[in-house]
Amino acid sequence: MEKEEIIQDAGEIPVSTAAVYSESIHEDRTAKMFLISSIVYFFIVGIIALLIAAKFVFPTFLGTIPQLTYGRLRPLHVNGMLFGWLLACDMALMYYIVPRLCGVKLWSEKLGMATAVLWNVIILGAVVSLLMGWNQGWEYAELPLPLDVAVVVAWVMFGANLFLTIANRKYKAMYVSLWYAMGTILWTAFVYLTGNFATLFATGVNQANLNWMYVHNAVGLIFTPVGLAIAYYFIPKTSNTPLYSHKLSMIGFWSLAFVYVWTGAHHMIHGPISQWLQTITIVFSVMLLIPVWAAVYNFFSTMKGQWHQLRDNVSLKFLMSGVVFYLLTCFQGPMHSLRAVNAIVSKTDWIPGHAHMAVLGAFSFFAIAGAYYMVPRVFKTELYSNALANWSFWLFLIGGLGFFVTLWLGGFWQGWQWNNPAIPFIDTVIALKPIWHTRLASGFLMFGGIVAFAYNILATIVGSKGKEVHAEPAAAAA
Amino acid sequence: MSDFNIPSVAFIYAFIFLVAFGALFFFFRTLRDGYWGKNSEDVKYRMLEDDENGGEYGRK
Repeated sequence: MEKEEIIQDAGEIPVSTAAVYSESIHEDRTAKMFLISSIVYFFIVGIIALLIAAKFVFPTFLGTIPQLTYGRLRPLHVNGMLFGWLLACDMALMYYIVPRLCGVKLWSEKLGMATAVLWNVIILGAVVSLLMGWNQGWEYAELPLPLDVAVVVAWVMFGANLFLTIANRKYKAMYVSLWYAMGTILWTAFVYLTGNFATLFATGVNQANLNWMYVHNAVGLIFTPVGLAIAYYFIPKTSNTPLYSHKLSMIGFWSLAFVYVWTGAHHMIHGPISQWLQTITIVFSVMLLIPVWAAVYNFFSTMKGQWHQLRDNVSLKFLMSGVVFYLLTCFQGPMHSLRAVNAIVSKTDWIPGHAHMAVLGAFSFFAIAGAYYMVPRVFKTELYSNALANWSFWLFLIGGLGFFVTLWLGGFWQGWQWNNPAIPFIDTVIALKPIWHTRLASGFLMFGGIVAFAYNILATIVGSKGKEVHAEPAAAAA
Repeated sequence: MSDFNIPSVAFIYAFIFLVAFGALFFFFRTLRDGYWGKNSEDVKYRMLEDDENGGEYGRK
């Protein structure tokens, strides 16, 4: 297809017929199973999120029942959202995207289904173990050792399936999403092994340093590359517009590969690590602006002349809002690494505001957009409700903005107070009450978004049984 | 208790250099495979084509 032809049609909903559906070579059983389970966890862990937000406002809420204390619920929320919802949904989208970009079937649906079953066993095991307090006590690495081993096994199964699909591909040149998919598989292996196994053999500051390297790169080298793989695939697909520059996407990929691994130590600035390591992490953190801007410029340039599509296209709304949040969160990261800024915001509420904008605002928005695009296609039906999809977008956006902005401001306020030794600590806690009230209210809005999204997707799936589709679902372009 | 600090730090630095070496190796392979050449933009048009049946030359 010529470039001019594509751009001329760019305002149209991508056209595909039901006949094409029936001839599809893709079974998508694995993608479906991962997606459905991830959305169920999104809903359940969303309730946990509300409970812990409520505990900031009502500290005696749920009393002293051990399983319902903040110390048990918080790691469940973090692990549930990271691995139960987001990574599982990202894996579903990889099982959808990779075979299509390669022009071949997934290497093994059986292996994929076994991976999905094992992943669900891991998540359910995590729920039980974390509620029971079987916790290794390391940020993002709380799961007990047997579950860590199971994660490694599942990841090898996932990686082998995708690499063999890519090795069997029809086309030699690989689109950038495939590069990011492969990068995710390799970097996750490296990051997860370091964070969950290498830390067991280190002590003191070295152990803490390894842990922060893992925590930061769990976002930077797991959720970032897979999120970008999704964005690079779905932004051109949903807008029916070719990517602005594939070369620029390659620059973004390779600069991310070179830069990201050194940035984790910026969480320990002003801590007991050596000054040279602090300086290195600051330099590499600021250099992150290169891969980030390469990706964001590419996405914005792709949308040049196509912004009107945002009016009716829900997937594109999620994708482009996610790009803006990605830019903002990746501007915050380098700024947070600067010594002067770090002295104020480190360890304050600014950090969860920043982390939620990355994981929810950027990468979950990409995943939700992918789910809205993928579900009608793999179930060969129409989306249950476009209006509900729009509601889910606005609830997520308004709730998310309320959460992020309030916590950034509250974090600065908190940091300034902590830096003043004349203010008693308890006064700094009392002063933050309005921030935590807003956080809870924003949480209710975001949970409303989860409910609308989950109901819409599950109603689409349930309604697809026995339903014939004669045209491309309009909402799928949504 | 044994002190594993030195081996663990050696491990992580070896791992980082292994990853850096791999990144460099594959980066230079992309040069050889034409990802920076004049036809490098073709792939972004191809991905927009219908791919449900394996693309234009899809195989079952």
